[in-house]
Amino acid sequence: MSAENLLQLKKINKVFSRGTVDEVKALNNINLEVKAEDYITVIGSNGAGKTTMLNVVGGVFPPERGGKIVVADVNVTGLSEYKRAAYVGRVYQDPNIGTAAKMTIEENLAMAVLRGKSRGLRAASNKQLREEFREALAPLKLGLENRLNALVGTLSSGQRQAVALVMATISRPSLLLLDEHSANLDPRTAQIVLELTEMIVKREKITTLMVTHNMELALRYGNRLIMMHEGRIVVDLNHEQRTGLTINDLITAFERASGSKFNEDELLLRG
Amino acid sequence: MKKGIIVMLGLCLILLAASLPVFSGCDNNEEMYTVCITQIATHPDLDNNRQGIIDGMAEMGYIEGENVEFVVRNAEGDMTSAASIAEYFVSLNPDIIQAITTPTAQTVVAAAEGTDIPIIFSSVTDPVTAGLVPSWTEAGATVTGVSDWFEMTPQVELILSVLPDVQILGIAYNAGEVNAAVQAAEFKSAAADFGLTVVEATAASTADVYAAGMSLVGRCDAVWIPTCNTVGGVGIEAIIQVGEENSLPVFGSASGMISTGLVGGCSVDYYWVGLQAGYMAARILDGEDIAGIAPIKAAVSTILYPASATRMGVTIPQAALDSVDIIMTD
Amino acid sequence: MDVAGSILSFSFYEGLVFGLVAIGVYLTLRVLAFPDLTVDGSYTLGGAVAAVLIVAGVNPFLATLAAIGAGFCAGLLTGILNTKLRIPALLAGILMMVGLYSINLRIMSGANVSLLREVTSFDIIANLFGMRGGSIAVSIILALAIAAVVFFALNWFLRTEIGLSLRATGDNEQMVRSLGGDTDKNVMLGCAVSNGLVALAGAIVSQGQGFADVGMGIGMIVMGLASVIIGEALFRPKGVTWLLVAAVGGAFVYRLFITIALRMGMAPGDLKLITAVLVVIALAIPYIRKKARREWIPPAVRW
Repeated sequence: MSAENLLQLKKINKVFSRGTVDEVKALNNINLEVKAEDYITVIGSNGAGKTTMLNVVGGVFPPERGGKIVVADVNVTGLSEYKRAAYVGRVYQDPNIGTAAKMTIEENLAMAVLRGKSRGLRAASNKQLREEFREALAPLKLGLENRLNALVGTLSSGQRQAVALVMATISRPSLLLLDEHSANLDPRTAQIVLELTEMIVKREKITTLMVTHNMELALRYGNRLIMMHEGRIVVDLNHEQRTGLTINDLITAFERASGSKFNEDELLLRG
Repeated sequence: MKKGIIVMLGLCLILLAASLPVFSGCDNNEEMYTVCITQIATHPDLDNNRQGIIDGMAEMGYIEGENVEFVVRNAEGDMTSAASIAEYFVSLNPDIIQAITTPTAQTVVAAAEGTDIPIIFSSVTDPVTAGLVPSWTEAGATVTGVSDWFEMTPQVELILSVLPDVQILGIAYNAGEVNAAVQAAEFKSAAADFGLTVVEATAASTADVYAAGMSLVGRCDAVWIPTCNTVGGVGIEAIIQVGEENSLPVFGSASGMISTGLVGGCSVDYYWVGLQAGYMAARILDGEDIAGIAPIKAAVSTILYPASATRMGVTIPQAALDSVDIIMTD
Repeated sequence: MDVAGSILSFSFYEGLVFGLVAIGVYLTLRVLAFPDLTVDGSYTLGGAVAAVLIVAGVNPFLATLAAIGAGFCAGLLTGILNTKLRIPALLAGILMMVGLYSINLRIMSGANVSLLREVTSFDIIANLFGMRGGSIAVSIILALAIAAVVFFALNWFLRTEIGLSLRATGDNEQMVRSLGGDTDKNVMLGCAVSNGLVALAGAIVSQGQGFADVGMGIGMIVMGLASVIIGEALFRPKGVTWLLVAAVGGAFVYRLFITIALRMGMAPGDLKLITAVLVVIALAIPYIRKKARREWIPPAVRW
């Protein structure tokens, strides 16, 4: 890997419902350079474009012409979602999307381990892999390592999301995208999941983008903070700039950068 | 899992228990012969065939209830059922199996392979191509029967005798029925000999018959229906309706369909076919070897039905009426 | 052979053969969550291809393999129609079924191909064991051997990496894509394998009944669906192996009812109503029992 940029977004635009009454520019000239091992928290109000940006990075839809996405020196702009999966791991807000309910934990992890690799006629799981799965599940302290044959549909939301997190990281992707992945969980489980995220990200040195609604979380985790508004990045604070900031400081920074009054009660209340 | 196994075992036990009283009546009695009859569908011609078999055997001394027991099954158009029925018949080890029409005959012959149960087919248009007998003059080792093959030239001649100015003829049939397809091809070449052209409409099932009939309106001067179970059997009413509403004369190829309301046609008499099959069965029960009984083709009679003709807008010339075998009335 | 034995053995044979159809339907309907109606057409296709090749002098086992290949291609086409041309699954299957009717007529150059004068797989097995060709024992040996091979092959396949990806596609397509799985290929492969199995059943049946006929496939999808549903209701299977067993078991029970009713002289027309009623009872009983015990009943599934 050359220069430390693991992810580069150049001139990314995204327009939905072009030419109709509902036309909206979800992403407006996004340019972003993410260094290896960056852990970036992304905040912004609803409609700011956070999830759209994640979707574009993940390959769910392509950016407008002229935009370019480079991951680990590979231009992935033209790759479809499943081809891009080799580089990108994702955890969704809804635990049901990230896991297959009618398959066992072992089978789900067996699927995840092959992310980005070609699938052939080898047996999907074996003793060695099962050991690997147990080692990956143990740190969750949820007892899941003893329940490899349980159907994922029988797990609670928190447990499912934890499994989804392990699934996203077990194959050590270059980039990890987290889309408000603790938002649907109760406080205790959310805490476990977030601490786990921190632990895995640090241990495996995975570059991470975490979208969150919660300003306090955004300040607590990560080494870089980005704030989006109306499809643009309006605030970008590196580690030194972030340290010691309070929520009020953030609001001020936002108002200065975007030129509009900050009136998002949701962000404040959640903080 | 457990429940499934319990249910299956339960069913098997019930079967074993029930098999004794209910089914023991099928044991082959010294004096009672068992004759199994299998039919592919229900319509007048096939029903006449079946009745002919029973009556024919009765004529020769084998009377139902006295010294013969008939086991009759109808597959109602379902091939899989026909195979199941064939398998059942073979398991009964009857004295004779009577199979009406080609698919039932084929499944019976396949199921009975290796046994020596005599099989008599009836209403099979081409038993040689169907693999039932080696040739038109030889019976198979355990198979013989009565074919409803007929020559096409008399059919065309009859149509011309009623409508001498006709130019284009139409045929409606189910291309998926081998009997009908064979006859349609033969009819076309016979018509060509008279300088007539033929147009076709096909119906894959009874639901398509009316549409097939309507598609011939305006495209031809008269319609002819081969012995097709779908169009000529079950769906004939729809064709008659098309003919009457649009003054399009329709001719047929079997007495059952003609009697329902067509102008006329040359028909194999299916009752006669059944009688012959019944006589053959009687001969075998009397001790004759089935391999020595050659298959036979049915005789054909010409039929006209003036009342239907009027309904379809046609008056039959007196000369034609004078020269046919049968005149039908309402 | 006594009557009960005859009924059981014939239903066993039919259960194995139509079990292949049930497994095929199960693969698409349950594993892939893809309602595939191609079945009526691919069953007949298998019978037609095998029959035409046998009449042309090809070894019956090779002809049967060719029939599987033909079914495979038909299923592949259905999958392509859905994934690449975005035609809804239900419609893609119907289009294939309709198109295959004409194709089958062409393959057979008519409506029916007789196999009575030909040497079929059944004849070869009969000679091997010194039994008569039409006997039920020969049928069962052949069907059992084929079903066993299919069973073990699928049991293995569904546990491989590709097989796992296929199962996951029916469960959570979005997840499979984000894990790098090509869901389009999975759907195409699943439909292809499924219709290959159905065509295999058609090839076996046509050799057993002595002919291939363009109408032989009519109603196969109903048979497959009924078998799968009955099997699930009776066996409540968990895991790949038991799911396969349930499909075959459901086919057996379904054919058993039909065979009994046919032998009792019931008209096939009434038969269809009775089997429908039986399926309803089989499915309703667990919920009626739950209701009686005031247990929670999950909401109805669409299919």
